[in-house]
Amino acid sequence: MKTFLSLLLDESIKTKAFMFKNWIMAKRNLFTLFEILFWPSISFLSVGLLAEFVNLQPRMRAFILVGVVSMSTVQVCQLDVAYALLYDVWSKALKHGFIAPVGTRHLLMGSLFVGILRGGLVFITLMAASYIIFDFNFTSPGILAIGLFVLGLFLSASMIGILVSILVLTIGNRAEVAAWSLVSLMLLICGIYYPVSILPYWIVVFAKLLPITYFLEYYRGFYGFEPTFSHVLLKGYTAVIAYLFLEVYLMKVALKRAKRKGILLKLSE
Amino acid sequence: MEFAVEVKDLCKTFSSGWFRKRKKEALKGIDLIVPVGAMWGILGPNGAGKTTLLSILSNLLTPEQGEVRILGLDFRTNGNEIRKRINLSSGHANFLWSMSVQENLKYYAMLYGLSGKSLNSKIETVMDMFSLKDFARVRFEELSTGTKQKLSLAKALINEPELLFLDEPTVGLDPDVTNRIRDIIKYLHQEKKITILITTHNMKEAEFLCEEVAFIINGSIKAKGSPQDLKEKLHLGDTILIDFKGLIPAAALKAMDGIYDIQIHNSSCKITVDNHRKRLAQILEFFTTQNIMMSHIHIKESDLEDVFISFTR
Repeated sequence: MKTFLSLLLDESIKTKAFMFKNWIMAKRNLFTLFEILFWPSISFLSVGLLAEFVNLQPRMRAFILVGVVSMSTVQVCQLDVAYALLYDVWSKALKHGFIAPVGTRHLLMGSLFVGILRGGLVFITLMAASYIIFDFNFTSPGILAIGLFVLGLFLSASMIGILVSILVLTIGNRAEVAAWSLVSLMLLICGIYYPVSILPYWIVVFAKLLPITYFLEYYRGFYGFEPTFSHVLLKGYTAVIAYLFLEVYLMKVALKRAKRKGILLKLSE
Repeated sequence: MEFAVEVKDLCKTFSSGWFRKRKKEALKGIDLIVPVGAMWGILGPNGAGKTTLLSILSNLLTPEQGEVRILGLDFRTNGNEIRKRINLSSGHANFLWSMSVQENLKYYAMLYGLSGKSLNSKIETVMDMFSLKDFARVRFEELSTGTKQKLSLAKALINEPELLFLDEPTVGLDPDVTNRIRDIIKYLHQEKKITILITTHNMKEAEFLCEEVAFIINGSIKAKGSPQDLKEKLHLGDTILIDFKGLIPAAALKAMDGIYDIQIHNSSCKITVDNHRKRLAQILEFFTTQNIMMSHIHIKESDLEDVFISFTR
């Protein structure tokens, strides 16, 4: 029993270490403040005002606003997961973390927690702004629906963040661009401002592979948009959990490869 | 005898370029045994393979061939256990730029599972040891090079390692800070009984710190032993320079024990001996009995620098 408790304590301290790092770095750097305030506000206001200008019906405006709020939330949350490695890469201090007795689970869980905190802040801020500025009630589907939707977004964000980390461990510094571009590409495919049904059929194939597609369809369903796919919530969660398991495994493989190829050292020089 | 490091037939090749066709053999069949409690130096020129070796030993790099045991544990199957008991500090220290000295230490202490009072007391101890208290709240990016290096050493002691790897710990530091860091390293070894493996291309540093050294050149260990053993092995003796008046019977002088070489030029004689402490008295007696007047005596001890030059030539 004592061994189990001490093991649990050890796990939580190591996870907290990565939370601590991401939290301090987020607090101290201006660009991280821009990420949660400036860029989400800009995209929210510009898209929201455009919707006003073209005089969209409330239903259509709901479609657009759900998209823009989701995009900013996912973007901010996934960045924190990617930052777990990128902060060390930028500091050239990657080897110090990997010489310590920690696993990828600590790194991912710790950074995801801060990502959820920052992403959650963006979500709540934009949800409130939607109501105040554009008279759009984000909470009308109910607490459970919001909870399931937001959890889906966070899990999808961590999926993207881990993918960025895998790329960093595989191809090094060049992969950092993925931290900003990968999410935009995915959001383009999953129908952030439009239903996926309008996309060419071969892009719909890719959209079907992305869990965010299903989560967006799920939430928009509450505003009168019939989902293109069936069982969206089940499909979304099944896909995102499967991807997360696969990615955690791939990250371990990538780490082993990085140790074999010397990438870990190159990223610390 | 217990061993901190046991390495057998260690090989590492790096590939680069298109289709990974360009190969560089960084380590070629390294054998090395370091006993527990020792302070060993890995010496060699830039690009010799020192950092590669240390990186493999500290579990940051995987070799394609060879056996490695750290503190008696196989590094392929006990990576996590080994990482709890070792640590590494490198020259040109780099840490998270926005975090203060204290925060950096806290972060790394937590990675080793420290929390609460034990975490705070450990941070206090290492900050005291390296006089870092005045910089506790200073961000890493604002520290001087010397203080950054002290932080690197402080971080390396945060888990009270049994085996410490130091990769060129004084590179780029001014002489004053260099000396202080060398004193601390010596203290860690002598008082804290930490086994230390240090890489350097500074021969004076190796001579000051290490009991045994291994010369690594082009990925192979060319020689190992104590600095004195290596000098003797290479016949890199001490030099005794004597200005004199008279006639030296060179053949008789050369026949004496421990004399490697004699060069006489006008009124100056350069005698190379195995150890000047052992040979000076008998040489002076020889000069006196031969009625040779000596006006000036100068002694130059050979050092690892000479050994280094001899190997890299």
